[in-house]
Amino acid sequence: MEEITFKIAQESKIRKKPSFLKPWMSLKYLFKKPVTIKIPYETIEPAKNYRGFHTLNWKTCIGCNMCGQICPARAIEMTWIEGQKRPRPKIDYGRCTFCQFCVEVCPTNALGFVESYMLTTEWKEEELQLFDWVPIPPEKFREIQETYRDWKFPVERMKFNKETKEVTYYLRDGTEFKFKILGYGLKPPAAAKPKPAEKKEEPKAEEKKE
Amino acid sequence: MIETVLKALFILLYATFVGFMFMGIIRIVTARIHRRVGPPIYQPILDTIKLLSKKSNITHGLIYDFGILYAVGATILAVMFIPLGSIGVLRAYGDLVLITFLLEIPMLGIMFAAMSSGNPYAGIGAQRALLTMLAIQVPLGFAIVALAEYYGTFSTYQIVMAQQVSGWSIAHLPLLLAAIAYDLVLQAMFGKEPFDIMIAPGEISLGPMVEFGGKHMGLLNIQHAIALFAETLFFSNIFLGGGVVTAFSSSVLNTIASLGVLLVKQIAVLLVATFMAAIFPRFTIDQAAKFYWKWPTIIAALGAILASL
Repeated sequence: MEEITFKIAQESKIRKKPSFLKPWMSLKYLFKKPVTIKIPYETIEPAKNYRGFHTLNWKTCIGCNMCGQICPARAIEMTWIEGQKRPRPKIDYGRCTFCQFCVEVCPTNALGFVESYMLTTEWKEEELQLFDWVPIPPEKFREIQETYRDWKFPVERMKFNKETKEVTYYLRDGTEFKFKILGYGLKPPAAAKPKPAEKKEEPKAEEKKE
Repeated sequence: MIETVLKALFILLYATFVGFMFMGIIRIVTARIHRRVGPPIYQPILDTIKLLSKKSNITHGLIYDFGILYAVGATILAVMFIPLGSIGVLRAYGDLVLITFLLEIPMLGIMFAAMSSGNPYAGIGAQRALLTMLAIQVPLGFAIVALAEYYGTFSTYQIVMAQQVSGWSIAHLPLLLAAIAYDLVLQAMFGKEPFDIMIAPGEISLGPMVEFGGKHMGLLNIQHAIALFAETLFFSNIFLGGGVVTAFSSSVLNTIASLGVLLVKQIAVLLVATFMAAIFPRFTIDQAAKFYWKWPTIIAALGAILASL
């Protein structure tokens, strides 16, 4: 048998003697500058590629639902949007764990993420709608992030019209982002099924007003 | 008559305000030792205003309300007896034993209220507080005896006056020993860290204070502020020479100057207590009792013996 030697530190070297005077050494911090970051007055930069909110390239998303399958919190629901041939992922930030598996798995790299991470609302029904969105294109999101640099959610307010099922995002730079939801799930909505077929000729007609 | 009432009112307001400032100083200094910024100095006042303006107040009966008032009243009475520079309402009767006794009373009042709430945590906290009180009596008694033996009087005001002639108490060896013992005892009287066993946040969730909220807690905050003021004032009166300034011809200037001198001495006492609180962890109750019956008692007894020689 081969002999194995383990290195064991001697206990006498590890164990410290109790002391009355040594705790007083910690008073040396009394006149040093505090290491606090005064948050409302100072800002901190999140790391590059900090896993924040999602972006969705509406042109390259093929509606394959890979993201919906891998999502560990089942926060992604496919949504049928008027004028789009394929469903788009709708992310519920009430459940999302920001693991970004969906970004990793996306075959066309349509789903991405940016460094913004702040989303706070009051306990009001209309404000809580902010937690459930179809992500906006990355260029737009980055533009807003660069303008404000406070790492907040880019949508100030959302309006959902129950009759017409029209959703309006009021973005922070004042522009609006409108689309119409026809249905949810993987199957195309029955009533709206002929619509994508006849609107085939204008596939890039998301109502996007600048 | 009216003058006395006005004086008493002034002492009360001054004690409350300065006491709250002391609480703020404690929080800031502790924060700086931890390398934090800490709250603004007036934060305890805001806390108390918030507590006093709470809408719901839980009460568990008459003793629960009475205990708090008893604690506040005893603290205010203690402040009245301690000479505050040249201002003093009852300073002629400010006996060492009486003041020491009155500074212990608030803890009893809090115990009444806590025990009547019926919360087991409050019960444990009350037991611990009473045992701490029992433990600090011995060194405290010896320190008082040393003082009385050295100066030949029990009157606080006369001791302050005697220090005008013969220098501060801590300049003499027997009284220096008594002062060291008293300073260790102060740590328990403030409810500060090595001996904050009766409060013990995190261990028995605030001990006696678990059930208090709203106006009760606000009154207790005021009581704590006045008690901080009274205890530091008593210490600086009997050991640090008090504040008797006679340098100016005008009596108003003299009064203000003596208040300022006293304030500096009080803050010095407070800072020593805060430093100890920030760097030492909490004792268990049996360790605390053993500690008080050992080292401070030996030191104070030595001081008392040396003073009587």
